[in-house]
Amino acid sequence: MGLINNMENESISKELATALNSFKAKSDQVPEGYFDQFEQELMRQIQTEKQQPKQATILSMFANQKKYLVAASLLFAIATGYLFYNDTEQKANTMAKVDLIDIKTLPDELIEAYVNNNELIAEVEWNSAIENAGSSISTNNN
Amino acid sequence: MTDQALITQFQNGDAKEHAFTQLLKRHREPVFFQIKKMVLEHADADDIAQAVWIKVWNKLDGFKQESAFSTWLFRVAYNETLNFIAQKKRIQAQTKQNQLDQDATQPMTHHSIKESDIQIKLERAIAELPEKQRFVFMLRYFDAFDYEKIASITGTTVGGAKANYHQAVKKMTELLHNA
Repeated sequence: MGLINNMENESISKELATALNSFKAKSDQVPEGYFDQFEQELMRQIQTEKQQPKQATILSMFANQKKYLVAASLLFAIATGYLFYNDTEQKANTMAKVDLIDIKTLPDELIEAYVNNNELIAEVEWNSAIENAGSSISTNNN
Repeated sequence: MTDQALITQFQNGDAKEHAFTQLLKRHREPVFFQIKKMVLEHADADDIAQAVWIKVWNKLDGFKQESAFSTWLFRVAYNETLNFIAQKKRIQAQTKQNQLDQDATQPMTHHSIKESDIQIKLERAIAELPEKQRFVFMLRYFDAFDYEKIASITGTTVGGAKANYHQAVKKMTELLHNA
């Protein structure tokens, strides 16, 4: 029996203690010379392992870094998403700014060209409206 | 030469095998007997002990000596034993019928020795204990390890280790009387 304190000993019945002593005696039995053989066999195994190529080390290195690779991938995905979102927002803001340009800041030539073009379009539209109206009046008279 | 000095020697690469075999000679018996008390079969204990010491050889360079070597060694033994038991349970579940047939023709080694009923009952009771309780009980009862060390080995608290010990005693007493 071990050197545990009395309080713990008291919790173990005499019957259990006796059985445990027999159990220990049986567990401690090993074949003669077992530990010397054990050492020889172990050193032989270690020598064999040492002679093997170090491929397993490379695999285990990646296995250990798996969590870092996953973390880096996530970080990359988040960063890419953030940059893409920011870029889109900036483009939208730029477009909005074009819509909101103050007419006072535009050069006179640009305004003049715009008015001339639109006058021509308005004139064409007006003429075609008169023609349509005239044709409908003549149809009604008939 | 202390364990610490041997580990430093191993880590520096000076007479690595000599340092390792010295550590092995000092600690092989308590580790082996602890494993054997867990798995009962000599051949199984031998396999696990080999795996433990190979792991020690491979990992000793990275051992920072933050705990005693024996604590670290028993932690390796604890993990290897639990892995072995879990693996064996899986295999036994898969080939249950084959195992039953084999047991009928080839009785297990510990049954071949003439044992009293109470010893057979005790072995059955021990086998029925959860592995952690079993490991804690063996370390405390037979090797008188203090609870701090047991807690460190099994990755639990001191309170947890004490609870495991007392639960093991309670279950063994019950199983012994009910069997």
